[in-house]
Amino acid sequence: MEYSTLYNQIAMMKKSFFDQGFLDEQFYQIEDLQDDASPNFVEEVVTLFFRDSSRLITNIDQALGKLPQDFGRLDSLMHQLKGSASSIGAAKLKNECTVFRDFCHKENIEGCLRQFQKVKKEHASLRQKLENYFQLLRQVGPVEKANRSGK
Amino acid sequence: MLDSGGAAAAAPAEFPAGLRVLLVDDDPTCLMILDRMLRKCLYHVTTCSRAAAALKILREKKGCFDLVLSDVYMPDMDGFKLLEHIGLEMDLPVIMMSSDDHKDVVMKGVTHGACDYIIKPVRMESLKNIWQHVVRKKRNGSKELENSGSLEDNDRQRGGVDEGDNASSACAGSWKSVKRKKEEVKDDDEDDDDEEALEEHEDPSHSKKPRVVWSVDLHQKFVNAVNQLGVDSKFLLTLLKLVGIHYISEAVPKKILELMSVVGLTRENVASHLQKYRLYLRRVSMPQHQGRLDSHFASGHDASYDPVSLIDGFDVPGLAVVSQIPPQGRAAIHPGPRSNMNVGISASSVNQFGLIASGIQIANASNMVSSSAQQMNNKRMSNPQTPSNNIQLSQFGQTPSAVQPYGSMNLQFGKGMPNFLTSSSQPSSFSLPSGTMSGQMNVSLTMHQAQHLHQFSLSQQRSNINIPHSSGQVLNNNASHSSRLSSALTLQTSSNESSNHILGQLRVSTSITSLPANYIKSPFSTSRRDLYVDGQSSFVNGLSGSSYPSASGVGVSQQTASFQSFSSNHDLKGKFDNVTAFNTISEHQNRGHEWKLQRVNLPYQTGHIFGLEQSNLLSHSSLMSHHNSAATATNRDNNTGATVKDKITSLTNDINVEKRTSVAQHRNVYIDDNSVRLNYGVSPDMSYQDVYLDDMQNELMSVVAKQVTFEYIYDDYLA
Repeated sequence: MEYSTLYNQIAMMKKSFFDQGFLDEQFYQIEDLQDDASPNFVEEVVTLFFRDSSRLITNIDQALGKLPQDFGRLDSLMHQLKGSASSIGAAKLKNECTVFRDFCHKENIEGCLRQFQKVKKEHASLRQKLENYFQLLRQVGPVEKANRSGK
Repeated sequence: MLDSGGAAAAAPAEFPAGLRVLLVDDDPTCLMILDRMLRKCLYHVTTCSRAAAALKILREKKGCFDLVLSDVYMPDMDGFKLLEHIGLEMDLPVIMMSSDDHKDVVMKGVTHGACDYIIKPVRMESLKNIWQHVVRKKRNGSKELENSGSLEDNDRQRGGVDEGDNASSACAGSWKSVKRKKEEVKDDDEDDDDEEALEEHEDPSHSKKPRVVWSVDLHQKFVNAVNQLGVDSKFLLTLLKLVGIHYISEAVPKKILELMSVVGLTRENVASHLQKYRLYLRRVSMPQHQGRLDSHFASGHDASYDPVSLIDGFDVPGLAVVSQIPPQGRAAIHPGPRSNMNVGISASSVNQFGLIASGIQIANASNMVSSSAQQMNNKRMSNPQTPSNNIQLSQFGQTPSAVQPYGSMNLQFGKGMPNFLTSSSQPSSFSLPSGTMSGQMNVSLTMHQAQHLHQFSLSQQRSNINIPHSSGQVLNNNASHSSRLSSALTLQTSSNESSNHILGQLRVSTSITSLPANYIKSPFSTSRRDLYVDGQSSFVNGLSGSSYPSASGVGVSQQTASFQSFSSNHDLKGKFDNVTAFNTISEHQNRGHEWKLQRVNLPYQTGHIFGLEQSNLLSHSSLMSHHNSAATATNRDNNTGATVKDKITSLTNDINVEKRTSVAQHRNVYIDDNSVRLNYGVSPDMSYQDVYLDDMQNELMSVVAKQVTFEYIYDDYLA
């Protein structure tokens, strides 16, 4: 059945996210919060996350461009991004943020710049993945059993 | 929301459903997730993305929340600061959250009084059980009520226990004692607060008690009774015990109640008020805003509270609310970490406590305090604080009778003091009891000095300022008497720090004969403290950050204890220049008796740890007897290869923190003369760190002074 295929697809996709380390267990927590009272909670949160994190990334970009670099501020901004990412279970993104912060602590501007590119890349990549994911979910409609199928 | 209470529908029909949580997090994603999670737990959630807004809500809707859940790293206010504010003002259980799981940060949360620390990302399981903290807090409060009869005894016992622990050399061992003390103190405070909380919050499990409004008259009766009995100063007790003197305070609620003979007043009321009073006295020991002096005298009862409000910058806002802190005071408070120090600093506040405390050498991490104080001073003061200190002392000295009590008190301290004050390399445990050490002093002061002190006008005070900035001259011009007091207080401003901050060296005249020679003077960082001799709140200015010379300041008849105030060194943000402070200290070390860096473990409430990490301390601002901060500081300092200096610094910081906490608490209590429950207004900008940075000595002194001051203010007010 179409649905089952879709469900399978969704399930597979989700599984791959986890297997490849893009998402972690926290994402399940988010999913658990979705129920009849908040049927689109996961998507809402993720959307909110990407909106807010984009803003953060812009700020970091600006901070990196300002010379001399304020590592304290960079670290603080990245800390926020990291916190945000971890709250939705974006594991890989969180790790990239951590690496960036390490460079910050060492005041290694080169490392920071390089790492930031990775952060941005991962951010964009995750965004794309999740957008696809939600698109599929929307296709199966409000019967969001698929949410749990990946577990 | 599905209330599992169902038909029963009473608020806590099925606790914890309906728990009213205030959620504070600047991250919108987290906020949304946590909000959802909490709602899933069937809690009532109010969200805030700014700490300031959260405080506002809490203040406006006191009693509408059971629990606060707050992020640590927020843009507008440090989560720990918020934590302190809440603890002081509302005494709600606060749970901190952060993705930062470093032990240090978690420890900070603990020391600042957080009920719990949740590592992000937060899971549902973690939130499901947060209600336990509400219950626990309430239970502690009710337990306090049940055992209200033994409240004082408990305090004393605790003090004793803590002292014993703290008396050990400041080292790892002190950690335990500190911790224990902290817990004890915390419980102590918590209990009291809980008591209050119970009054405030509708706790279904406890019948609502009619709140006692502590009017000025009532409070005066209370104070009179307390003085008659002898203030139960935990600090004093601790100190005395430390030196081997057992002082049994008679000021137990029961007796106080009897003395007061007020119809309808219960022992519990008195007990809780006594606790607050003690805290107040402690708080009052914070540096005061000099500018307040006038206003304080001028303005009616609010004025009488000014000293209190002057004390701590951090609760200036609150104070402002309650006590109507004059704008200048408020302004003063805000600038730096120790803004209150700066307020009205210019010179005239003399810290009477400084005098007293001078006898007590506190190897406080004055450096740390100093730095913060200095920071504050930087902002406010352009002159070294010394003059003011001088004035204070002199003021004090002016009243022979007034001095006398101090002398005697000092004596008492002195006896024991030498022991731990003089050993340079031994950290002496020094507990700053939550009460005020001025207990004794207070009694004597009030009794003897009441008339005298509050005759001192501000101008008079000012005029008494003799201490030259650079020469660290004896504070006061009153030879004999003041010398006693002032001798203890020698504030030296460290020249290492930026000039602004450094308070002049305040040399206390040596003639304090009542104190044993090796009476140690707590180093007062003159940077910020104003010593108020007068009825004004006395702050030991610049106490913070001053290294406490081991030499007995007060007691040394021929010696001048010199304090180094590193006012400018006080950088609450942890920028304290330990080195500087240490340099100063080492300079003094060679002075005979005087400077013996000691690692005084001042277990202020919870004991102090000679923490090294100044910054740690700085960031600690625990409202409720968070001695942990001291502990934390110690730990950190240890990492940095703490030396005695470091330890002192941290200790100082700890003390300061403690002081602040207590002062803040006290202040809140006493600000509003019409109600017991004061709004613990805390200035969001105020860094609690300031409080913490004060050295123990300052605290001691201020505590004592404060008490006296308070008395006077009261007298003055009532007059």
